[in-house]
Amino acid sequence: MLIMSFFGWWYGRGWKHAFDSLGLRLRGTAELFSVKQLLQTWFEPWRRIVSVPGSSFEDKLRAWGDNMVSRGVGFVIRTFILFAALVSTIAVGSLTVAEIIVWPLVPIATPIMIVGGLLG
Amino acid sequence: MSIAINVRSSRAQQAKLGRVIGKPGFRLLVAANVAGAIAAVLLAYIHKFHLAASVMGFSLLFYMPAVWWKRQLWPLPADGQELENRLSGAILFRLKAESLSSPQAMWDSLHAHWQVQFMLHHLLLSSDTVRSCLSTDQVKLEEALKITQQIADTNQVQKIELGVLAAGLMLSSPQLGQVLVQMKAQPEDVISLANLLARTLSDEEKERANYGGIGRDWAFGFTPLLNKFGQNVSAAIMQQGVHFDWLAQSSSVKALETAFDNGTSAVALIGPDGIGKTSNVFALAQRLLEGHTSQALAYHQIIAINATHIISTAHNPGDLEDIMLSLAAEASHAGHVLLFFDDAQLFFNDAAGAFDATQILFTIIQARALPIILAMSPSDLQRLRSKNPALAGMLTPIVLQEPTETEVMRVLEDAALTLEHRHKILIAYSALRETYRLSGRYEQDEAYPGKAIKLLEQAVGHLQNGVLTPESVQQAIEQTRGVKAGSAAPAEADKLLHLEDEIHQRMINQSQAVKVVANALRRARAGVTNPRRPIGSFLFLGPTGVGKTELAKAIAATYFGAESNMIRLDMSEYQQPDDVQRLLATGEKESSSLLLAVRQQPFAVVLFDEIEKAHPNILNLFLQLLDEGQLTDLSGRQASFKDCVIIATSNAGANTIRERVAAGQSLESFSDEFTDELINSGQFKPELINRFDDMVLFRPLTPEELSQVVRLMLAEVNQTLKTQNISVDLTDGAIAEIVSRGNDPRLGARPMRRALQKAVEDTVAKRILSGQANPGDTVTLDTADLD
Repeated sequence: MLIMSFFGWWYGRGWKHAFDSLGLRLRGTAELFSVKQLLQTWFEPWRRIVSVPGSSFEDKLRAWGDNMVSRGVGFVIRTFILFAALVSTIAVGSLTVAEIIVWPLVPIATPIMIVGGLLG
Repeated sequence: MSIAINVRSSRAQQAKLGRVIGKPGFRLLVAANVAGAIAAVLLAYIHKFHLAASVMGFSLLFYMPAVWWKRQLWPLPADGQELENRLSGAILFRLKAESLSSPQAMWDSLHAHWQVQFMLHHLLLSSDTVRSCLSTDQVKLEEALKITQQIADTNQVQKIELGVLAAGLMLSSPQLGQVLVQMKAQPEDVISLANLLARTLSDEEKERANYGGIGRDWAFGFTPLLNKFGQNVSAAIMQQGVHFDWLAQSSSVKALETAFDNGTSAVALIGPDGIGKTSNVFALAQRLLEGHTSQALAYHQIIAINATHIISTAHNPGDLEDIMLSLAAEASHAGHVLLFFDDAQLFFNDAAGAFDATQILFTIIQARALPIILAMSPSDLQRLRSKNPALAGMLTPIVLQEPTETEVMRVLEDAALTLEHRHKILIAYSALRETYRLSGRYEQDEAYPGKAIKLLEQAVGHLQNGVLTPESVQQAIEQTRGVKAGSAAPAEADKLLHLEDEIHQRMINQSQAVKVVANALRRARAGVTNPRRPIGSFLFLGPTGVGKTELAKAIAATYFGAESNMIRLDMSEYQQPDDVQRLLATGEKESSSLLLAVRQQPFAVVLFDEIEKAHPNILNLFLQLLDEGQLTDLSGRQASFKDCVIIATSNAGANTIRERVAAGQSLESFSDEFTDELINSGQFKPELINRFDDMVLFRPLTPEELSQVVRLMLAEVNQTLKTQNISVDLTDGAIAEIVSRGNDPRLGARPMRRALQKAVEDTVAKRILSGQANPGDTVTLDTADLD
């Protein structure tokens, strides 16, 4: 009876759980890397460090330069994290999709792999 | 819906298998699976592909049960509306075929589980007590299961945990209901505990809240000054994992979000102390971290400004302005910062420990550079409106409502769990109910839930064998408020039973008055009076100097512990219409205020002398006081008179009493007629007289009684002379002489003290100074010795 329960669950609620987990995992990865926030602030100065321009042209030029550096630093660091987030999302997504595809095959493949492997 | 349970069903078998495997078994399965997978990869690497496939197959053999256990066998989610499909794995694992024969048999299978033990401990019950109350009849089991299902449905709980089933079993027994009442608990406590358990288990199952991760803080600038003068509430929640789940869903927190969404830049969070203004802001911070919020506040962190730190750092007003403006500028520049000014009144008060920063706040809020929340009480908002109407006008007020009893109890339950963990103690559930009741009755200066939490914390100092019981809470309130909340101890009960004798030790005759008052005090102490009205309210009528005030003092001394536990108002000072304002003053500016005195001394005699002289508007206030046991001061705060004895005295009709008693009539014989006369003559309104518990007539004292009064006064003189080790005695003739000198039918015993003073004290003083009376002497005075 327990064996029937197991197969009932594996091809029913268990498989559905694998489907449901795809969205959860992708969302979790995006939140882990604060993707939405990083995209919104991609070109903003790093930690909002900005120079207040003075009245002279030279001061304004220097402040503009400083602020461009701050934005550049922010852009580089955020791009790096966004790239890491992209890689992680692809990895997590691929693994989960693979799990969904392989899921129904596992109970069938297991005895085949054991017996087939031993028989050589 | 069926309530049958099949202990051999597929679900029951899954529950048993899940518990047999357990967490250690699961870890073994995972370890074997991982080891197998690694081995397979290694074998494939060395080109042993067939063996690798076989090992991977074995690895999957461990993978499948591990996944099944993790997602199904262990949590065993509810599966439908049938009772059997809603029972938790912990229940199904323990049930056997014989468990279904009766409630008692089922209890035997379940009672050892920690959830049941948790409930028993908090109800102060033993498992054997419950077992002995449970039926051995199978029909009763069906009833118990129906109750279980009802509890789960009422509380919208899909999966039935062991605590809920235990509650169903307990509530199926009427005998246990009686036991609970004897233990000062209520049957509803059983359900509340089951729900508390279900909530705790649900919280444990929840995954740790995700507050965002890498890159989240990069949107904010650095805030060194804000870090110095404030607390980052959002960071504190992230680090400490503080949960305000229930509050985060409340209408007040949503109102905060809506206000900012609608474009306001500053909100005044209004509520009395203890209502949870700070908690609401913490709950908002949690919602912001979780991302469940409006566009206006998205990604904002909340920083609470510490006013005390600012004041202690700034040494002159210029410094204050600099710091405040710098803080606002830094917050604005850092971006995504919401400033929270807790105890905002400190920023616009002139009182000690505060400073007036209204103009700076006005400038900051007017700039609309960042969202701001100011927390304050309603009276503080009123003060701000009169001090700086422009600033007050820029604030969007959100008034917090006091939570319901259910909500307060839920907060108390959570607080109790924290206190139990912190102090390693047990808090009986009945103690929580007592905390709610007593804090509501005696803590007038704070709102729920703060005042209840404070009382619960105070009660931790009054544990009984490591357990916090209702008596602990009563002792705590008795100590902090000076009231009698618990039941009378044997010695006190004996004193109450002989209260008349006690009062007569300092009061001559007036037996009827003493009896009426003593009966009222006994009723109040035994808890058989209406708790929403004063302990007792009496109108004392009679000539001057017959003992009306003395009886009030005697009550203060004997029942309330000391003569000083009396609040006395001379109503001849309240004859003008404006005097109502003086009577209801808050006491903050006035030197004397009735309501302040009652708040400071809630357990006392309140004596209104010569009530007939008070203005009619004040007499109208008495109707409310006597009916509801409370008055509201000019700021809207209530003061409770529910633990006071209210005594009003009057000389109205004194001549009638004197004449009728002189004519030989007893007080009882003309009492009703006398009341009619008072009403018909317009001296008292019938609605006022009717609101007193009793109208007590005092009769003039006879010469014999006046002699006894002299003896009582002499005892007081001797008490004073005790320090000099001298005592005075009076012969009968001397006493008669003093009575004769002091007796004035219009003034009763009042001139007696003056007569005694003149005759005895002066004589004794001369003897002491002339050396005729020395320490150890007893000075006996006869008629001829009196000055």
